[in-house]
Amino acid sequence: MTQQRLFELINAEIDGELDAQQRAELARSLLADPNARAKREDLRRLCAALDQFEEVEPPSQLHQNVFAALQLSTPMRSTSSATRWRHAALVAGILAGGLVLLEVSKGPPSASTDVAGTMAAPTTPTLLDAVKLSDGPVSGRATLYRDRTGLSLELDVTASAPIDVMVTGEGQSLRIKSLAGQGKPAKRPARVQLTGPGWDGPGVILTFLMAGHQVGSATLRTGKGS
Amino acid sequence: MKEDEDRTLVARCLAGDRSAFGQLVVRYQKPVFNAALRLLHNPEDAKDVAQTTFLKVFEHLEDYNPAFKFYSWIYRIAVNEALDALGTRRPFEAISDEKTDEVAGPEQQIEGEQLGRAIETALMQIKPELRALIVLRHFMHLSYQDMSDILSLPEKTVKSRLYSARQLLRDQLLPYGSALR
Repeated sequence: MTQQRLFELINAEIDGELDAQQRAELARSLLADPNARAKREDLRRLCAALDQFEEVEPPSQLHQNVFAALQLSTPMRSTSSATRWRHAALVAGILAGGLVLLEVSKGPPSASTDVAGTMAAPTTPTLLDAVKLSDGPVSGRATLYRDRTGLSLELDVTASAPIDVMVTGEGQSLRIKSLAGQGKPAKRPARVQLTGPGWDGPGVILTFLMAGHQVGSATLRTGKGS
Repeated sequence: MKEDEDRTLVARCLAGDRSAFGQLVVRYQKPVFNAALRLLHNPEDAKDVAQTTFLKVFEHLEDYNPAFKFYSWIYRIAVNEALDALGTRRPFEAISDEKTDEVAGPEQQIEGEQLGRAIETALMQIKPELRALIVLRHFMHLSYQDMSDILSLPEKTVKSRLYSARQLLRDQLLPYGSALR
């Protein structure tokens, strides 16, 4: 019997998959070869040890975190006028992370500058990508969604000092000023709409700036062109 | 039957009953978190992967084909998320500290918690794609058929890769000498 055949029979035995003929074949080899017996014993004990690993309880906040995230993607309906709702969404979008100011930098002439505070579309956004931020003084999470109006970026970050975030797309960029700081997370995740053809590329790059110096970066993919 | 209950819950979710999704989260948070934890060896990353998994499940629920087992679908998403997370993990985030664990001498016995740590460390030394097979088979106790569905691999390939993964794991544990005896 080849070593490969022996190896397969031992594994199949461990998984309870041997028929009578194979069992007899394995038994003959084991009787004749002490090394085969030792190999079988090692594998059996390894698998027994693996099977005995106990499950770990998930973090208690996992369930609530999932639902908190789902709330973000819950379609929200205007109870009064569309104008009032649009204004509320604009304010919420800009102020979600505390003091957040947006500056639209110059992009190509074709790029839209309609990047801030656009009202979320009344559809469930699709999660495109998420990255965990653990880059130097910046930690937290950045998530990219797509809804009917385009991309939206959610930043849930903590930093040791106020940070600016440069968001760069294929043909457009914007700057979010004074997001989080003093080691405190933003009170709520900042959410920014990225609408317009300038954001219609394979992804966006986030550059984190502290006192004008880059302290980290991250890339979020849209799935386009990949 | 659990699979029928899953299908019922999915149907209720699709009809707009968010509490049904809550029941799915409660039902699967433990196995999903544990699968991610065994693949990533980092509770915080595992939590992130579990959260992302459930969000993706929610967002793509309409794509789920009830002809297949729901748990195969959700575990497939979880495994892919975990493998993606490993792909983006920086080299210095590898479990470098665990390599400094003292290794038992050839004649030394290790057992209990120490053996568990040795196995976890050894697991992290093998390729993530092979580790996934160990996780699905030994920690989630899934059949070859389920593993085949989750990994989109033929059963024969699942078996041969699982055997290889076990062999590599055994090789990794050789420095522990008689640890497994």
